[in-house]
Amino acid sequence: MTYTYHFILFLFGGACFAGFFGALLGIGGGVFIVPIMVLMFHLPMKVAVAASLVSVIATSNAGGSKYVDQRITNLKLAMFLEVFTTIGALSGTVLALYLHEGTMSLIFAALLGYMAYASYATRNFDDQRIAAGTFVNCKQDRLSHTLALHGSYHDIAANRNVDYVVTGSWIGGAIAYLAGIASGLLGVGGGVLKVSAMNRYMNVPMKVAVGTSKLMIGVTAAVGSILFFMAGLIHFVVVGPVAIGTTVGATIGTKVMNHLHSRSLKWLFTAMMLYLAYGMLAKGLQVQFHIHIPTLT
Amino acid sequence: MANNQMSEKERKLTATAEENVYAGVYHVLLVGMYISTALFALGIIRAMMHPEFYPLTASWVRDHYHWSLIFHGLVTFDPMTLMMTATLLLILTPVVRVIVSIHAFAVDHDYKFVVVTSIVLVVMILTCLLGLMGLH
Repeated sequence: MTYTYHFILFLFGGACFAGFFGALLGIGGGVFIVPIMVLMFHLPMKVAVAASLVSVIATSNAGGSKYVDQRITNLKLAMFLEVFTTIGALSGTVLALYLHEGTMSLIFAALLGYMAYASYATRNFDDQRIAAGTFVNCKQDRLSHTLALHGSYHDIAANRNVDYVVTGSWIGGAIAYLAGIASGLLGVGGGVLKVSAMNRYMNVPMKVAVGTSKLMIGVTAAVGSILFFMAGLIHFVVVGPVAIGTTVGATIGTKVMNHLHSRSLKWLFTAMMLYLAYGMLAKGLQVQFHIHIPTLT
Repeated sequence: MANNQMSEKERKLTATAEENVYAGVYHVLLVGMYISTALFALGIIRAMMHPEFYPLTASWVRDHYHWSLIFHGLVTFDPMTLMMTATLLLILTPVVRVIVSIHAFAVDHDYKFVVVTSIVLVVMILTCLLGLMGLH
């Protein structure tokens, strides 16, 4: 493959696009960049997954450091859940190295389908919970109590300090393990799974969940990247534009997000994910079962 | 306004115990980000100046994992080597972040979290060993 001037520029542009829309949705760009690389640049699935994983580390460094600086991230919670995500990432990457490219495309299509649903259905109950004080009046489980998993952050929008205690450590750990598998197998951060698990089952405020997840995805993706690197599946000329592009796109996206009502964009995101899900499904069926369904590209 | 300053003060007080960890993690992330971004940018510019043919095979990529080749590539600003080094630095950032955290938790005498964070490091080391044992 010859990496021409055009190829690099377009790949950079595609990664910017993925990072930008990922940030608007509050997720990394992995969910968009992998289908873009596979469907538009016709790169092998495993090369796309490996490049995306490296770009996940880049966005985690850039985004995660901001949340750490603002003390929104709960470092102890991050370290605890990282035990599960890293083990998951190891399992997921081993799986990725042995699975067929077609099977991986099909699993990716399923993930996109789920995300299209989740992006449409998610709501944010934080304001009610902050007002009712339920974040702090919650019974901790034994593990969470032993590890002193609790925290406090300053919520600018609500203009007050929000204290919270963490509960549901084991279910959180289980979902973190699944998120790790998704990360290693599909080259995504798995933030969607982790953020909703922390917010729904572990009594963690949304902003803390997002900040903590941003930091965790770096370590999780690093585990997958180490294996892909050693397997020789990381193509550095692909990784460069993708990593820089996603970071640039995510940085712009985060700034724009504060001025936008993301709810009004939900329909657009749902449609976009369904479109990519269909593309990956068509690709998977074609590679794996030689079944051709009409494609939209 | 007074309310705001008060809460700011409280926030700082509650954070002091973990301040070491937060500061360490923050600096590792920043340094890793700046150096790898610079190397990637340089690599991209070089690759666009001289388009070359690169095979998409794993064995071809692995043939480049030699210190002498990496050193030579860095000196001659070879785009692939520049981006390979940037990728390695990027992968190492979270690893260093974990090591810094273990140290910081130890300084704070928070031994439960020294153990928790060490498990993460052990998983990373295990991953490297698996890779070295020829899992590909």
